[in-house]
Amino acid sequence: MTELNKDLFELQIADDSQSEHIASPQYSYWRSVFRKFFSSKLAIFMMVLSLLVILLSIFQPMFSGYNPNVTPNINRPEMKYIRPNSTYWFGTDDVGNSLFDAVWKGTGTSLFISFMATFITTTLGVIIGMWWGFSKRVDAVMIEVYNIVSNIPATLIAMILAYALGAGPWQLIFALSVTSWVSTAYFIRVQVMIIRDREYNLASRCLGTPTWKIITHNILPYLISVIMTSISRDVPSFISYEVFLSYIGVGLGQQHASLGRMIQQYSPYMTSTPYLFWIPVAISALISVSLYIVGQTLADASDPRTHMV
Amino acid sequence: MKRYVLTRILKSILSIFAVVSIVIVMIYTMIPSDKVFDNDAGAKKMKGDQLVTYKMRKLKELGYQDYASINEMCIATFGDNAKACSDGDEAARSQAVDKYASKGYAINTLKSGEPYAVHKYRWYELLGRFYSKLLVIDNVNAIKDEENPDLERKYYWGKNPYNGTPALLCSGCTYKYQLYFDGSFPFIHQNKFRLDFGTSFPTSQGVPTLQVINEGQGPNKKVEQNFETGLTEQSALIQTSCQYKFKTDHLDEKRFNDHYASCLSYHESPSMVQTSYTLGLIALVIAYAMGIPLGILMAQNKDKLVDKVGIAYINLLIAVPSLAFIFFMRSIGTLFGLPDKFPQLGFNDIRSYIMPVLILALLQTPSLMMWLRRYMIDQSNADYVKFARAKGLSQGEIFRSHILKNAIIPIVNGIPASIILCISGALITESAFAVPGMGKMLPDAIKTTNNNMVITLVFIFTTLSILSVLIGDILMTVVDPRISLTEKGGK
Amino acid sequence: MSEDKKNLILSVKDLEVKFKVRDKVLTAIRRISMDFEEGKVVAIVGESGSGKSVFTKTFTGMLEINGTVTNGEIWFEGKDLAKIKNDKEWEQIRGKKIATVFQDPMTSLNPVKTIGDQISEVIIKHQGKSKAEAKKMAIEMMGRVGIREPEKRYNEYPFMYSGGMRQRIVIAIALACRPRILICDEPTTALDVTIQAQIIRLIKDLSQEYGFTTIYITHDLGVVANVADVVAVMYAGQIIEYGNVNEIFYDSRHPYTWGLLSSLPQLGEKGENLFAIRGTPPSLFEEIKGDAFAPRSNYALKIDYEQEPPFFKVSDTHFAKTWLMDPRAPKVEPPAAVRELHERMLALTSKGGIYGER
Repeated sequence: MTELNKDLFELQIADDSQSEHIASPQYSYWRSVFRKFFSSKLAIFMMVLSLLVILLSIFQPMFSGYNPNVTPNINRPEMKYIRPNSTYWFGTDDVGNSLFDAVWKGTGTSLFISFMATFITTTLGVIIGMWWGFSKRVDAVMIEVYNIVSNIPATLIAMILAYALGAGPWQLIFALSVTSWVSTAYFIRVQVMIIRDREYNLASRCLGTPTWKIITHNILPYLISVIMTSISRDVPSFISYEVFLSYIGVGLGQQHASLGRMIQQYSPYMTSTPYLFWIPVAISALISVSLYIVGQTLADASDPRTHMV
Repeated sequence: MKRYVLTRILKSILSIFAVVSIVIVMIYTMIPSDKVFDNDAGAKKMKGDQLVTYKMRKLKELGYQDYASINEMCIATFGDNAKACSDGDEAARSQAVDKYASKGYAINTLKSGEPYAVHKYRWYELLGRFYSKLLVIDNVNAIKDEENPDLERKYYWGKNPYNGTPALLCSGCTYKYQLYFDGSFPFIHQNKFRLDFGTSFPTSQGVPTLQVINEGQGPNKKVEQNFETGLTEQSALIQTSCQYKFKTDHLDEKRFNDHYASCLSYHESPSMVQTSYTLGLIALVIAYAMGIPLGILMAQNKDKLVDKVGIAYINLLIAVPSLAFIFFMRSIGTLFGLPDKFPQLGFNDIRSYIMPVLILALLQTPSLMMWLRRYMIDQSNADYVKFARAKGLSQGEIFRSHILKNAIIPIVNGIPASIILCISGALITESAFAVPGMGKMLPDAIKTTNNNMVITLVFIFTTLSILSVLIGDILMTVVDPRISLTEKGGK
Repeated sequence: MSEDKKNLILSVKDLEVKFKVRDKVLTAIRRISMDFEEGKVVAIVGESGSGKSVFTKTFTGMLEINGTVTNGEIWFEGKDLAKIKNDKEWEQIRGKKIATVFQDPMTSLNPVKTIGDQISEVIIKHQGKSKAEAKKMAIEMMGRVGIREPEKRYNEYPFMYSGGMRQRIVIAIALACRPRILICDEPTTALDVTIQAQIIRLIKDLSQEYGFTTIYITHDLGVVANVADVVAVMYAGQIIEYGNVNEIFYDSRHPYTWGLLSSLPQLGEKGENLFAIRGTPPSLFEEIKGDAFAPRSNYALKIDYEQEPPFFKVSDTHFAKTWLMDPRAPKVEPPAAVRELHERMLALTSKGGIYGER
């Protein structure tokens, strides 16, 4: 201590810029989301897999030109029930068409239905849910609607609607989304209500921020992970629904190829030509699982609370 | 409390009506009525005018429309003087036809040239007709039998022939046993009030839909029983179910002193409701016995290996389409020599039940585990847990006596629903295993366009789920001291 | 600063605590040494984020999962608490020997367990009493903390209680096993002003009756002046001044303590601007060179940016960690507000404010 220079004991008062220096680690929301997402190897793998499946289901049918109603080999027994080999990767079906072509066409239809239904459900659910959470008057009406709809098994409604509306992709999309948006909206409503009354929003409102700005700037970002969670659950559940409804015979009609239709059509072949049945089943499971895991990881990553550690 | 429950019940009834009404209107107006005959064996044998007349009659029976043949028009118009009209008098006929046309009936002509009148019910007429005949109250003047003018009209006390307990009997009603007791659930049985949903068609033609659901299945089962005439014999008849029979035969007279001889029978196999209920309840118990401890275990070991394995299991089961899972499990079952269809070994072989029950239980575990884990982890960040830790309680004690008590509340809310909805059966599992239960009925009814059955099932399922939500909420007040139903449902 | 003192109950040496946050390491406690005397009321003051709570959490092993004690010792009853790794050993300390009362009584109690259960639970756990005995003791304790008709209220639930009543229950639970140390982590901030004084009074009375050592964590200097025997001032994970309550209030030496005292709103005079310490606390993610308070200090020396000051002894009980105490340092006067503190305090207490009891 003695060797300290006496000069050091002079007043040297720092200016304000130095005293205001904040040095907590740099934080960017989207960078953290990406960092978090790409830190999961499983999620990356599943994302590549689901992208592959989606691309195949879009482009493969363009090249194959597969149509379930065109059956050139129907009278050629030697073309039927060919087991999977190098020419026919998934083998051929009961009318002599390549199952590989059929599966991708069917996957496309199933994905289309599930994505459309998810899109409608989420859009309607989020918009109405926000409104519902914000307005007391809307709440009074909507809570009654919710009480009616939520009390009835969703499967029942979907079945009855698909039954009454007839077979077809759009009818099915309608049947699937007509009630499911209510539960998404309710989910969003609860979240909105929680955030709405947080101090920072009350403060914001006191400062005269318009409601729509509070919604888009303060609440919507918070909801991203909540919405992602709901999407990641909806997509596989709609795929599952399509498969199920088609299986019990109220989904799509004969003229449409879909995974559900194929599973229904080939379930009697389970023991005789098992690949016909199991390949569509495996593909449907593969899509659901990969999309679900991608969605869940993204939902986790987009929750700012996980960015802490 | 009273007021709250009352409004809740009122609202529940309202939602049941709303749903059932919408379904009725949808089914009767949106599905082409001709589809009804797609699965009707009777219609396939007919052609031409005969087919048209058959269809018109059937659609009338099924409640789609009102229909009148020329004969009926004549009788309705001229009453006792309808002979000329029926025999083909042009003027009289056109008078009758005009009368129907003016009432809004569409007049069509058969190939034979005979006219007939049809009135398709509009949506409000459909609903009116459905609800007006829905509730049937049995009374002493219910039976009008011209050949039995001396039929007594009275209630009287008697005995349940099976166990000797007192029973309220009736003469003149549709049912003889109005009120009786026995050892099977719900112990007190009555035949005074009944719901009439119409009859099943085209499968189980002419049988009331509720009976299709409730009656046992398989061949009749004879048991030794005493009849009121003193006769003791091996018989399948269920005496407490007997209805008035207009034309009794000598066999009936041997057994019964009165006209109440049209009875249901005992069957070898349980009814559809019972089948689903048995499967469902066992599966439920297994699911809770597995799901709750596993959920707790996962929450307690958050982010450790057990938790990760559990999450992988949950995600897999949620993501994989249940149909795929069920078929996968079923084929695993066959590896162990278990049947892939329920009827293969039937009701009396335990092996028939193993796979359906196991699958049903496994399908319920993921959500149970996921929610319990989520609730427990949410709770474990609460301040009271921090304080409990500061009190020196161990992790295990905190989980058992503090966190679980809070986290189980929302789970308890769902238990009545799980129990009651066992009745509705498991749609996919029962379909995949061809289990003759309730779950398979709806898809089957839809496939065969058995409209009355669809409506009946919708009514039953909706009522049950609404009821279970109500009971769940009431149960909440028991486990959560903070909630009392007096304050607008509690917060 | 660890001269031989009588009756040391807790002795902390060179304690360092680190947290991992987003792949970065934050040093929350930077090598603190401090002794606690038995039976004394010690107040730890400092602004938010100075590490007050983290410091006391290490005594009961209640650090958040991403935090660890990376250096130092905590001696209590001949045992080094910093070495305890498993919860089993901690359970023998927490609640039994060292109890904690948290800030918010509204959330500290389990909403679905009865008040009585929550009190007798600790008695059963730590004293091995039977249920009936524990109930008797719990009811007695409830009466002791000022709950009227405790037998009747034994089976009630927390939601039926007001905030003040709940804090009384929390205190009853904390003291149910007669701990040797009671840590009060801002016990009154969540309460009404009128209730605050009652609760502070209660803790004080009980500490005299049961003879436990009290550690207050607070940023309310009013509370400190009222109850504390000893005050430790914390800044940026270190104790920068330590002394008897009178020494800290009327003879403080560290510029940060001056800043804290000057900014007491109760001491503000009509017409004067209220004083505020400029700037923000330093980031604990970075290595701190010299005196952590230097960039915000109006009395900073050149050396403050170069080298960390040692503890300078003011009296046998009073220490300050500032280069201003070095004989070579220029003589500086504390701000006027601090110099006049005594008079102002007297004026305040004679007015009979809420802190007028002392």
